[in-house]
Amino acid sequence: MDKKTILLKINDEEYSITTCPNRTLLEILRDDLSLTGAKESCGEGACGACTVLLDGLPMRSCLLLVTEAEGKEITTIEGLSGNGKLDPIQDAFIEYHAIQCGFCSPGMILTAYSLLKNNPDPDEEEIRHAISGNICRCTGYAKIVEAIQAISTKGR
Amino acid sequence: MEKYSLIGKSVKRIDVTSKATGEAIFSADIKLSRMLVGKILRSPYPHARIIRIDTSEAENISGVRAVVTASDTSGDKWGVFRYTQDQQFLPTDKVRYVGEEVAAVAAVDEDTAIKALKLIRVEYEELPAVFDVESARKPGAPLIHEQYPSNININIKIDVGDIEKGFQESYYVREDTFMAPEDSYFQGEPYAVAAHFDQSGNLEIWMPNAGPHLKAKPLSNVLKIPLNKVRVRKVRIGGAFGGRSEISPADVICALLAKKSQRPVKIVYTREENSIATRQAHSMVATIKTGVDKEGRVLARDITCYMDGGAYSSTGPIAVSVPFLCMEQAYRMDNVRYNGYRIFTNKPVRGMFRTHGRAFACGIDLQLDMIGKELGLDPVQMRLNNVRKTGEYTSTKSYITSCGMTETVLKTTEKAKWNEKWGKLPPYHGIGIGCNSVQTGFPMGIRGGSQAFIKFNEEGGISVITGIVDNGQGNDSMIVQIAAEELGLDLNNVQLITADTEVTPSDPGSYSMCETFIGGNAVRLAARDAKKKLLKIASEALKVNADRLDLRDKKIFVVDNPEQSISMSKVVRMALGRGESISGEGTYWPKVDSRREWVENPSGQLSETFSFGSVVAEVKVDPETGKVDVLEVTAAQDVGYALNPKVIEGQFEGGVAMGGQGGMLSEYVLWYNGRVLNPNQLDYMVPLATDMPKINNIIVETIDPNGPYGAKEAGMSVAMSAAQAYCSAVCNAIGVNIKEFPLTPDKILTAIEEKEKFKQNIK
Repeated sequence: MDKKTILLKINDEEYSITTCPNRTLLEILRDDLSLTGAKESCGEGACGACTVLLDGLPMRSCLLLVTEAEGKEITTIEGLSGNGKLDPIQDAFIEYHAIQCGFCSPGMILTAYSLLKNNPDPDEEEIRHAISGNICRCTGYAKIVEAIQAISTKGR
Repeated sequence: MEKYSLIGKSVKRIDVTSKATGEAIFSADIKLSRMLVGKILRSPYPHARIIRIDTSEAENISGVRAVVTASDTSGDKWGVFRYTQDQQFLPTDKVRYVGEEVAAVAAVDEDTAIKALKLIRVEYEELPAVFDVESARKPGAPLIHEQYPSNININIKIDVGDIEKGFQESYYVREDTFMAPEDSYFQGEPYAVAAHFDQSGNLEIWMPNAGPHLKAKPLSNVLKIPLNKVRVRKVRIGGAFGGRSEISPADVICALLAKKSQRPVKIVYTREENSIATRQAHSMVATIKTGVDKEGRVLARDITCYMDGGAYSSTGPIAVSVPFLCMEQAYRMDNVRYNGYRIFTNKPVRGMFRTHGRAFACGIDLQLDMIGKELGLDPVQMRLNNVRKTGEYTSTKSYITSCGMTETVLKTTEKAKWNEKWGKLPPYHGIGIGCNSVQTGFPMGIRGGSQAFIKFNEEGGISVITGIVDNGQGNDSMIVQIAAEELGLDLNNVQLITADTEVTPSDPGSYSMCETFIGGNAVRLAARDAKKKLLKIASEALKVNADRLDLRDKKIFVVDNPEQSISMSKVVRMALGRGESISGEGTYWPKVDSRREWVENPSGQLSETFSFGSVVAEVKVDPETGKVDVLEVTAAQDVGYALNPKVIEGQFEGGVAMGGQGGMLSEYVLWYNGRVLNPNQLDYMVPLATDMPKINNIIVETIDPNGPYGAKEAGMSVAMSAAQAYCSAVCNAIGVNIKEFPLTPDKILTAIEEKEKFKQNIK
């Protein structure tokens, strides 16, 4: 397959990548750019471990061809914290013991971040619904829901 | 002043910031320069003789750096026990399940590796295969291993007291058979391994593992390199749940590829490979005959259990024993016979799983409900009349040093308002209870104990060095909490070096629920050893007897005059100035009966202590769809002492999700002629956030006399007792006892239908 040069904007930095256009965004992030926070768990868009934000919305990067991400603002978990400061949602996950093995955490945190950006006052049902595409095998979700509730506007 | 400054508090875990930011490195994230991609060729047949393997075409592709087959191995067979040595990691004679490793390739990229795999020619002669325990035992069934007649891999026989007499004296006796197919660990992280040999022949290897020391020894044996040259490195682990203790064929294959190619190699399993070619839980058929007196006290029990072990022994002797042992710990069984069989079939290898046998545990509990119904006793009374108490011995002679089982029953039922609900709920609405107990470690021979070291820097901060593993449950944090508590430090004064066989001393690993008890005790002793040395020097400086001194907030102070103190950093510097070292060393060896053996001698102290727990579940069943809506779950466990309560709650909640919600309602492996039909995430139904009920956590503390601060195993029994409670509640809701698990809508609808038909017939 012919390689193609693709411009990506990831965490406010621009990257020019020459690659086969049949590769997924997840492969590019992990293998070419060493942004390994996005994980591959199921490889079929069911578990949410590879979640990144595209123009602020959570997307499964294992299902996206890298060409589909061109021209979009891509946010990975590495872009959520900066200048030595964590995003409040990351702090909440730590504070409320919402992380055990941590494999699902990057995707889960990005989904939660996006939820709160779009709906600062989610009720418990809305939170559970929002994260129902992110599978966690360790926690039973209780503390994840608590963490998100804690920093929703109502929770504050 | 509070007794402890850090212990008993829900302090933030030390490992989670890196997990929240994506910085944490898991095995698949590892990148080494010139690293190759490894891929494994797997058997398409459940049982076939390997006639020949031709790799020449694959080797000639540009970009392929190594191809390995059985001819690159010594051909030795590995087994966890000397009497279970039956697995080659690349088989020479035949394949025994669909998905078994046959050959592997290392290439410059994944596409090349996959292309090369397709060019490996394997000539097979197909053999007849067996896929269930019943046909595997029939006379004339194909033998999977020549040395195991009737495909019986293991038979555990336990016979205690006099069951014949017990049944004779019983007021009521019943026998039921319970069954369940396999469930899958389905860890978040698919298996991955990266390996590298240096020019001196040292192997460096990373993989999700529950015990680096348990991995290093077989690697050394199989690869025929000295143990000191095997460096199993620390890496973040994406869950284990019992599934990552044993060596994996992928570990050996990755090392062979790295050796042959002289380059680092990484193998990353797909989700499907993780479901098929790593250990999964056993399916089982358990026949339980129980006799009771008028008060529902069990006078005799006779149990026969057949477990489908798949193609190789794995931890078979342990896996066949533990389901029974958990129940003999939970409930008194003075007269009991257990016959546990593990049968070979042409299916992937089965291992130890967190819930230790749904059919078995749920059968024991559900049968208590059925018996209670005959006797007019409610399930709670049935439990209270049979549960274990402190000071007793289990049937196989383990002394119970601390047991809060009764308290967990009372507290869960009170919180769940059992008395207001039992027998009073509307139709298709039910409540149920389950009780269970878990070991805190097994006899593990020379790998059963843990050692820890502590060294100081000149500012008074420390490094703790221990073999303890963190699979995600928080063990790293637990160690730091203990070391900091003992030495009066903050958490961030402690550096942690764990789970690296080059550096850390032997440890059983995060296996058999022993890390807090064994590893935690070793770290505590190491800290106390160091503390003694610090206090000795401080006592000279302060001119006060050492027994009047204590440590807190990085200061050593006089207990009856806290104003009089000296900083720890000063004491360390004084030691260095005098040419003395300050370090700590601790070893903890659990008091278990070393003569106890799984098959030969299943008697004697199994574990130094045991945890106990109860779960109550309340459910509503939709009789039209068979769908179960779980309204509320209340989980309690006697954890000895809660070192970090929020961490323990997380274990409870995860246990309810895996054992109850998933294990009892939706999770099972589906088969067609030895092929797993649902290896992927879309078809294997693990619980989602929207599935989970409200969970009430109740931590019960009995302060175990030998646990660190009184702590013991925390959280695992909840997974099992949740399965039992879900089962009890669903059967209560529909008024039918379903004996085949999990309780999927089809089974529930059939049961309701049959009940209705039966009622019609009676009319």
